[in-house]
Amino acid sequence: MNLLNDAAGKEYVSLGEDTLYVLDKAKQYSEISKGAFDVTIGPLVKSWGVFTDNPKVPSKTEIDDLLNLVNYKDINIDFENSKAMLAKQGQIVDLGGIAKGFAADEAVEIYKKHGVKSAMISLGGNILTLGAKPDGRPWNVGIRNPRGKDSSYIGIVSVKDKAVVSSGDYERFFKKDGVRYHHILDPKTGYPANTGLIGTTIISDYSIDADALSTTVFVLGLEEGMKLIESLEGVEAVFITEDKEIYVTDGLKDTFVFRDESKEFEYVEKR
Amino acid sequence: MLKKDDLIIFGFVIILIAASFIGVSLYKSSGANTNKIAVIIKDNEEIKRIDIDAVSEPMEIAVSGDYSNIILVEKGRIRFKDAGCPDRVCVNTGWLTEKGDMAVCLPNRTMIKIEGQSDNVDIVTY
Repeated sequence: MNLLNDAAGKEYVSLGEDTLYVLDKAKQYSEISKGAFDVTIGPLVKSWGVFTDNPKVPSKTEIDDLLNLVNYKDINIDFENSKAMLAKQGQIVDLGGIAKGFAADEAVEIYKKHGVKSAMISLGGNILTLGAKPDGRPWNVGIRNPRGKDSSYIGIVSVKDKAVVSSGDYERFFKKDGVRYHHILDPKTGYPANTGLIGTTIISDYSIDADALSTTVFVLGLEEGMKLIESLEGVEAVFITEDKEIYVTDGLKDTFVFRDESKEFEYVEKR
Repeated sequence: MLKKDDLIIFGFVIILIAASFIGVSLYKSSGANTNKIAVIIKDNEEIKRIDIDAVSEPMEIAVSGDYSNIILVEKGRIRFKDAGCPDRVCVNTGWLTEKGDMAVCLPNRTMIKIEGQSDNVDIVTY
């Protein structure tokens, strides 16, 4: 990936099969979300220093400049020769919103190859289940209370053979001059996404899809995000708003168990 | 010929194996000792939680809604005793006695299940 970023605006670079797959998936989700998810967000991630020890708020001009470099359409993939290139110099692909999901899928493939029938993987909160629990019951996955302690949750989904991935403003954030800045940047504005959501969870067959979509709907907001997920087959979602309301997609209504020990959240079943 | 380092590694592995056996047996016995907790869920929301092992006298719980349910609790077991729904699948499910047992009345959106005390979730996504 560094090779690709270093050669941005200059030349095509050869990439491995896995990297090309992830890059292509990332591009697909950028298209589906009309840019609400965009892996070319790299220059802004770097500027904010989101994943460093010294994050900062970039100046408005810097953000506006860097926004010119954010465009998934500039990812050119040449499948025939296993090569890819970024159109403009300075463009950076950041696969942070999708790579963990891919890794979990790969791990499960290894389990399957060795005949494992029941397993659960958690890669930093990205859950992927293989089969049911050894006793045949589904896995009960708690959905983190975005304003509570690490182990607290606001509800439970029961799953078999599914990925459950969450995004939220609580995962990584810093405070500057009394303002809280979280790590999920909106590719349209260059600032942390501010659409009224504090947490999103996606349930789908593959972790890579759940990973990309949880970030996508977080940036899209409740209404647009709900519309997107309902349009996709086999994908369900839980949305938590800053008003502490919880919404779920239709397919989850029968199985989602609302259980909020903090008693601060409200489950809104009808919308 | 075994070297000293090899012995240290052997020792470490044996301790590790012993520790995991002890851990597993502790975990199993702790699960067996916890009481059975029956949970009644109506419209996806928990409305009652009962330690059915601690119930001495039989009791009935009425759940209203589009159709009515009567739930009967006795020591160590729970069931739908009666229901106003057309299919009565919930009543026909019979007694729930073990952790993980579940009975559902879809028409009235009521569910009973038995869970262990700390058995709510297997993991939390974040």
